[in-house]
Amino acid sequence: MKNSALSLENVEKYFPPAASGWGALLRPVFRLTVPALRGISLEVMPGEVLAVVGANGAGKSTLLRILTTLLIPTRGRAQVCGFDVAREPAKVRLRIGYHTGGDACFYSRLTARENLVLFAVLNNISEAEASKRIEEITGPFGLGELLDRQVRTLSTGNIHRLGLARAMLHRPAVLVLDEPTRSLDPLAAAEFRRFLLRDIVGARGTTMIFASHMLAEVEQLAGRIAVLDSGLMLACDNLAGLKSATGAETLEESLETLTRRASRETS
Amino acid sequence: MKDSPQFILTLRKLALLFRRDFAVARSYRAAFGIEIFQALFESAAFYFLSRFVESPKLQRALPPGANYFSFALVGIAFFDYLSVALSTFDASLQEARQNGTLENLLVTQTSLPVILAGSSLYPFALMSLRTAIYIAWGALLFGFPLQGANWLGAFLVLGASVLAFSGLGILSASYLLIFKRGNPVNWAFLGLSSMLGGMLYPISVLPVWLQYAARLIPVTYSLEGMRAAILGHASLRELLPSIAGLLLFAIILLPISFAIFAWALRRTKITGTLTHF
Repeated sequence: MKNSALSLENVEKYFPPAASGWGALLRPVFRLTVPALRGISLEVMPGEVLAVVGANGAGKSTLLRILTTLLIPTRGRAQVCGFDVAREPAKVRLRIGYHTGGDACFYSRLTARENLVLFAVLNNISEAEASKRIEEITGPFGLGELLDRQVRTLSTGNIHRLGLARAMLHRPAVLVLDEPTRSLDPLAAAEFRRFLLRDIVGARGTTMIFASHMLAEVEQLAGRIAVLDSGLMLACDNLAGLKSATGAETLEESLETLTRRASRETS
Repeated sequence: MKDSPQFILTLRKLALLFRRDFAVARSYRAAFGIEIFQALFESAAFYFLSRFVESPKLQRALPPGANYFSFALVGIAFFDYLSVALSTFDASLQEARQNGTLENLLVTQTSLPVILAGSSLYPFALMSLRTAIYIAWGALLFGFPLQGANWLGAFLVLGASVLAFSGLGILSASYLLIFKRGNPVNWAFLGLSSMLGGMLYPISVLPVWLQYAARLIPVTYSLEGMRAAILGHASLRELLPSIAGLLLFAIILLPISFAIFAWALRRTKITGTLTHF
């Protein structure tokens, strides 16, 4: 637990029920009754790559947002590099880089460089140091020549690379990616994955946790796979372990078996 | 930069957030030109209105040295600071939500209040420029009196006003964090302030009980101080009551609004509604 990059101990997250119309107006504060995560415990060691898979609403993004301090767990404890996400959020943020697959997460009328400098300075990096790091990091990302173009003129693939560059600028120990290739075409997604494996995990030894619906991507990137269903963690193992535990031949079959078993047990 | 004192670090971040907004605004080239002419049309409208309404009775109700045009121009121009303060924190929060940068800003080493404060600098600077344009048109074309104005005093009143108004703006942003839209904090303060604060008429024309109520809102002190400095040529000593009143509002409102904002932010992290709009 002490040396792990990420650790979750019995983490639970509940949300208030969605309210609209008169209900929302007359009763603006609701009790937290809708479960999103139920008793999640796991550990990720430094340099490891963990994929989080599951159907929509399984709790993948909630789990990642807790790790990035954007959500506070209802119960349980989550730590990043030994720091508690609820009690030491600033120390946690220093150690994580966060990138989502959305492509509208920059100031579109600023250049790529201006965006990166802004986020670097907000991460306590001086402008001079930021400029050095931007040159260093964007070279392998293939962004060098695009740095002085407004973000609105960049392709989705390049905006994704820019997002990853932003997440890596402060040299985080842990990279948190939420559906990183969601809006990329297949070729750009494949290139992006190669880049993650070669330059981020391989060369830098960065710990990575990512959520994805693309099972080929999960197989290619992840050392271990955590399977979530309705907020419960059904399994967390490597690909071979998942297959042998479910008697399946593919990851897809493993997931189907696990979720079928879970729904039988709950019904 | 990691070794710099926290204060210097924060100032650098604020400066960079200002540069961000300036760079974005600069990319919309036509807007600035439109701004200059809008100020001209509004100044002209108030000039002709003042010629229509000016009467010996009105003149007696105005502070010494002021005609209705200069009185109303200062009122309108500086009342807009309150509007900017009330809307700028909301607007930067809403913009970050809509352009998808909010989550990325929140996972940096900079707290949301600093980000919001930095995001309010450009709107305040733009407001100052707009006010200068208003006054410049007024002076060039319609005889707005500039001679003898205490500009240092006006600057101090303005600084104290911005601090006092920002407390209200942060309260307004706290409401927006929790309830997402339809901001009654904004509506109530702007409505009350425009009615009681003396924007278009001196508060001496209000019933006595409303004159007391006017003393409970910061814009009253702001407009009184501003008019006294620019139109009444008041000394710093004479401006002290207005500045002290505004600073008292700031001392009370800023800590309360920051505490409420911190509570609201934590609440949205519990309910998962931080990025909803």
